[in-house]
Amino acid sequence: MQQYEVIVVGGGHAGCEAALAAARIGVQTLLITMSPDTIGAMSCNPAIGGPAAKSHLIRELDALGGAMGQIIDRSYLNIRTLNETRGPAVAALRAQADKRLYQAEMTLAIERQPNLQLKQGLVTEILVEQGRAIGVGLKSGRKYFGKTIILATGTFLGGQIVMGDVKYSGGRQGEPAAIELSESLKRIGLELRRFQTATPPRISCRSIDFTRLSPQPLQRLEWGFSWNGLKEIREQMPCWVTTTTRKTVEVIQSNLHLSPIRNGAVSGKGPRFCPSIDRKVLKFPDKTDHLIFIEPEGRSTEEMYLLGLTTAMPESVQEQILATIPGLEHAEIIRPGYAVEYDCLVPFQFYPTLESKRVANLFTAGQLNGTSGYEEAAVQGLVAGINAARKVLGQKPLVINRSSSYIGVLIDDLATKGTDEPYRMMTSLAEYRIFYRLDNALHRLGEIGYQCGTVSESDWRFRQGLLNAANELEQFYQTTKVRMDASLWTELKLPPPNRGYRLNELIIRPEITEESLLTYYPEIAKYPLPVRQYVWNELKLEGYLNRQRSDYEEVSRLEQIEIPLHFEYNRISKLSQEGLALLNHIKPLSLGQALRIPGLSEGDRALLYIYFNNSQGAA
Amino acid sequence: MNFTDTIAAIATPIGEGGIGIIRISGPKALSIGRHILRTPKSGLFSTIEPRRVYYGYVVDPEQEVTLDEVLFFYAPKPRSFTAEDVIEIQAHGGTLVLSKILQQVLRSGARLAEPGEFTMRAFINGRIDLVQAESVIDLIRAKTDKAHQLALSQLNGRATRYLQQIESNLYQILVNMEALLDFPEEGIPDLEKARIQTEISQIIEKLQQMLATVDEGRKIREGIQITIVGRPNVGKSSLLNALSQEEKAIVTDIPGTTRDIVDVQLQLRGIPIVLNDTAGLRETDNPIEQIGIQRAEQSLEQSQFILAVFDISQPLNDEDRFVLQRLEGKKVLVVLNKADLQHRLSLDELSGYHLGDPVLVSSLTGEGIERLEQRLVEEIGVGNLQVDDRPMLSRLRHRNALETAIEALQSFNFGLEQHQSEDLLAVDLRSALSAIGEITGKNVNEEVLHGIFASFCIGK
Repeated sequence: MQQYEVIVVGGGHAGCEAALAAARIGVQTLLITMSPDTIGAMSCNPAIGGPAAKSHLIRELDALGGAMGQIIDRSYLNIRTLNETRGPAVAALRAQADKRLYQAEMTLAIERQPNLQLKQGLVTEILVEQGRAIGVGLKSGRKYFGKTIILATGTFLGGQIVMGDVKYSGGRQGEPAAIELSESLKRIGLELRRFQTATPPRISCRSIDFTRLSPQPLQRLEWGFSWNGLKEIREQMPCWVTTTTRKTVEVIQSNLHLSPIRNGAVSGKGPRFCPSIDRKVLKFPDKTDHLIFIEPEGRSTEEMYLLGLTTAMPESVQEQILATIPGLEHAEIIRPGYAVEYDCLVPFQFYPTLESKRVANLFTAGQLNGTSGYEEAAVQGLVAGINAARKVLGQKPLVINRSSSYIGVLIDDLATKGTDEPYRMMTSLAEYRIFYRLDNALHRLGEIGYQCGTVSESDWRFRQGLLNAANELEQFYQTTKVRMDASLWTELKLPPPNRGYRLNELIIRPEITEESLLTYYPEIAKYPLPVRQYVWNELKLEGYLNRQRSDYEEVSRLEQIEIPLHFEYNRISKLSQEGLALLNHIKPLSLGQALRIPGLSEGDRALLYIYFNNSQGAA
Repeated sequence: MNFTDTIAAIATPIGEGGIGIIRISGPKALSIGRHILRTPKSGLFSTIEPRRVYYGYVVDPEQEVTLDEVLFFYAPKPRSFTAEDVIEIQAHGGTLVLSKILQQVLRSGARLAEPGEFTMRAFINGRIDLVQAESVIDLIRAKTDKAHQLALSQLNGRATRYLQQIESNLYQILVNMEALLDFPEEGIPDLEKARIQTEISQIIEKLQQMLATVDEGRKIREGIQITIVGRPNVGKSSLLNALSQEEKAIVTDIPGTTRDIVDVQLQLRGIPIVLNDTAGLRETDNPIEQIGIQRAEQSLEQSQFILAVFDISQPLNDEDRFVLQRLEGKKVLVVLNKADLQHRLSLDELSGYHLGDPVLVSSLTGEGIERLEQRLVEEIGVGNLQVDDRPMLSRLRHRNALETAIEALQSFNFGLEQHQSEDLLAVDLRSALSAIGEITGKNVNEEVLHGIFASFCIGK
């Protein structure tokens, strides 16, 4: 009988990161997937990053030793910066992925990873003994035993595909759902609910009239998602832009009765930030020019993705819609758009370590936990993988704090506030956004990744080099006196100052850019881009950072005050009944988390604060 | 919740005469002290030694105006009441002066202490043992929950709608910014910076006007407002003293002694109450007394409950009738004071005003005071408390929040002029809204999220 230390169920973005993380830490890991052909598949938009916080998640994931950043940096079709003028905290990256290459690279990474075994199989059952998960049972009748189990089932758990009023079982178009596993999860005491998501049609490249479309400009970047550096890809492939028309809106309006959002075919809750074109027309009937991005899916395929045109209308209506859009009049649909409804967990069933409260040694990650998006899934996979391995090794669990990162914000939101729609990361969800930037993710999390064992020695040496260089450059700014010769000041259109300035004082002025300094201080240019960006932003934002710093540090301090796992709250006299019920339901792991529980009264919060703040170290 | 900032409050009950103490506790206590305290020769204190009493002045350093002549001392942590750095300033005690000093302290970087917060800090920092702590916990429970509900429930009336309008305008701007930041390439319209700058300037002006409406001498209110009225010298102040069992109002037999409003905070059978003693109501030529009477009338208008005091040892006179006419339509309990003297007041005439059964008391002997408390609690009946309509800015905490908001918005507009990026501008806008949210109870993150999806067609 084969005994593993970590068994990961599911080969999507969460499952892959989970399996790689656990194996890197050095525990015997098994990854079970229905199909080894679809490891790391991008079921929806073939892109990483984009909306601001998603790229932040990947930089953070990479700092912690995750794989997604490195792989997309080798498999992109184009990569661009977004939001550059909107400020350093929200500057973002977006890479269009060659989705087959991405999958191939991820599959290879899994196959080559020491301590990790890949296996095909359909898991139908979680084996539980005395409240602890001990293994999984397969459709084939085979059982695998493991000290910890990580579930990353994506849209496959109880998946049902919807197009118009047609509804049938499936986890992704053309692939079977995991039906028995849902029943098994309910039997072991987990509560499930339905969420849904949808995807647009893919069309054939040759059927597009490109003369009617405009390409998005390409960029050549020095640095991508990973701290290890970006692979240069000379011939990038652009994405294209068109818009819907009045006619599009009319077609949709006259067919709305066939849309699953109207005909009742979908009962699960969909993501607000990723509505179907049907819903957009329904909600904003006066808007006719919805942006549609036409995106290549890879170098070895002619399929093009239609970002912005998500719909699960019947295929014939999808054709009518396309016929109204400039450039797509004669589009041939290869894969029609569809919606998929799936089982995921009712909130508050896992700790911020992603371990189940109900079943010990069982971890969950990704869409199963109520999120949406590859990046959101990947970071949870990594955290679940690290914690499953640490549990096997008898180490203290890792909680990524809300005050450290978007990863922390995401997990804390899920564990403390819950979500009633598929959760997507946004920068506006973070209270201290200017502290969580792309450029300082390594400073925030690099050391943790190295300590966990998910970052290799050689990667860490390189990353330490970046951190040291950043120190050096910061010193340079802080100790270098600004030259007083007139030309600099003329160029800056400023009167020469009447006292000595240091560089760091100078650059606080909003009109100063790094470019304007490089002529006078060429030594700055020798530092790699991420180092320069980090130092520049730290110094430039100093005023704003300092204004928030004491609040931010207090929040961080509260995160460090731990609450024991099975703490009996009735030991704190005077807590209200409602407060007790909430605390016993959420089971917070830190004082900071406890104080954020929605609905907890001010009085209860004060009591918790006093109790744990006082007993810190004494408990 | 933040227990590491610097807090301040008036530590003694407010009253005319005697001495009032302003206590400042927290890491910034000493620097705030240095900022506002001056030597008798108007210089800065070069050194302030621990546990030594100094003599000097409190000033408003910006205006270089002297606020009061004071004694003060400094107790560094951990050897102070709260085990934090503490400065205590003993001033001359008048409501107006004390609240001016307090406001100066708050402007200099302290936050207004929540009720019971000094004691709570003392407990947190291990200065109070567990036995004492039990009662503190009760206090925290009662005060924080109730104060929180009260703060929100008092939101009504014109001033509130006015503030909510401002808030909603600010959210429109923030939501637009946040949508831009979180959803690049979704065709969200760019900010019209010039228009926003004008709008923010107008909002700053409006907020400043709201601040200006605050009557500087107004009390810090933290409970149910009960106003004591009556013609001069019926014994209102001595009644107040009897109820609070302390000397707070000046009690003399010279009519018209109480010229300002005197507040006493107390708990009657667990209900937090603010008793406002007012100047005796009557027609007078004395301009100073007139001001006092005007304030009394204002207080009468805004109060949730009224104790109308009459002297049972005198027949009703025109001055009493003047008072009685002002009680129509109000929640009133009639108190007949000086029961220890001979009764000469005609109960028949009084009952013609339909003000319910009077309570007989003697402030001097204490007779009937307990009965009065009992009746008060019954009449107020927490459940049927009428939420009032007074402008919420009577609360100092609200004033603080508005000042924070104004400052943040000024910084926002400065940032706009300096062409700062949207992510930084959002820091200021968010902190303005979170300050206003302390009054309106709105949570910035939730409002933004809701606003983005309601206003923009998001989603590719």
